[in-house]
Amino acid sequence: MIWRLYLQFLKFGAFTFGGGWSIVAQMKELYVEREKNITDEELLDMTSIGRSLPGTMIGNIAMFYGHRQAGFFGGVACMFGMITVPMIVLIAITTFYTAFQSNIWVASAMKGVRTAVAPVILSALMGMVKSAFKIPPCFVIALAMFILFFFFNVSCVWLVVIGAVLGLIMCEYYERRRGIDVTA
Amino acid sequence: MLLLELFWSFVKIGFTSFGGLSMIPLISSEMISHNWMNAHEVSDIVAIAEMTPGPLGLNCATFAGMRAAGLAGAIVANIGALAPTFTLCFAAAVFFEHFNRNKRLAQIMTGVRPACVGMVAGVVIQLALANYADSAGGVHVPSLILGLINLILLMKFKISIPKVILFSALMGVILFGVIGL
Repeated sequence: MIWRLYLQFLKFGAFTFGGGWSIVAQMKELYVEREKNITDEELLDMTSIGRSLPGTMIGNIAMFYGHRQAGFFGGVACMFGMITVPMIVLIAITTFYTAFQSNIWVASAMKGVRTAVAPVILSALMGMVKSAFKIPPCFVIALAMFILFFFFNVSCVWLVVIGAVLGLIMCEYYERRRGIDVTA
Repeated sequence: MLLLELFWSFVKIGFTSFGGLSMIPLISSEMISHNWMNAHEVSDIVAIAEMTPGPLGLNCATFAGMRAAGLAGAIVANIGALAPTFTLCFAAAVFFEHFNRNKRLAQIMTGVRPACVGMVAGVVIQLALANYADSAGGVHVPSLILGLINLILLMKFKISIPKVILFSALMGVILFGVIGL
């Protein structure tokens, strides 16, 4: 059972490019539609909780599914299955990168690639904006954290903790004083 | 000692990241402050991680770990980045029913998400400052123009990220390698 989970996630991991959504789609096809181990709704629950817990979303989802099927070691098997192929690929690329970093052609290609990095992050950031600003004070938090991060080099660890505390305070305030449930 | 530092860095990164890009600001500051990478290399790893299979955060962990301390570094960094999954997520799996649609968690995320937007916006500017600069510290115009083209391809024409990165690599070879800008 554990070996089988490992191999299934090995395959998922090999075909996950960019975001983690393709792994959710693959899990849906195999576990919901073919094996019928879990329902669509359970997968959605795993995804939404996996996403709101810290860490890698896919790692968290792998842990949820594996734990459900075969306990802690099932979860660990899914997790390691998922990272095996990406890790081997990355180790090969890093070795190559380190060896050829100063090669003129590799260096020119990487210089081109670097121009795409800020646009790539920016476009993904635009996707985040919609769900991030549920109530007006969220804009203030984003601006304040930007200033603390960019101008004062405050550690991201603290910024996340501050954000979490402010989230609790804001939501409670909205609910008690204005009767609005922000989380609904 | 180096391995322990690497592990601890990625434990911090793991516990304060909430999906995909939110890892990048802390990865960037941890890598640069420990002198494990410079801003260019952080950009490279973001691009490489987007192009290869697997989650972005773990790909960054493998790359950074390899660069800092070889194969052992890569393994240690991955385990560090997965620490929240081993602990918090495992606990959540045990109490799955209770965790389901947990209200406190949703309240926390209401504050954490905009905080992540702020930090990611900060890291975009940091990387842009490094990537569009020439060796003298001014603006490198060809890079900036290529960057704007990339932005339009992504946002207006919805070209996928791997394709845009591949296109940039090709343009880089032509512009900086063949023509020598």
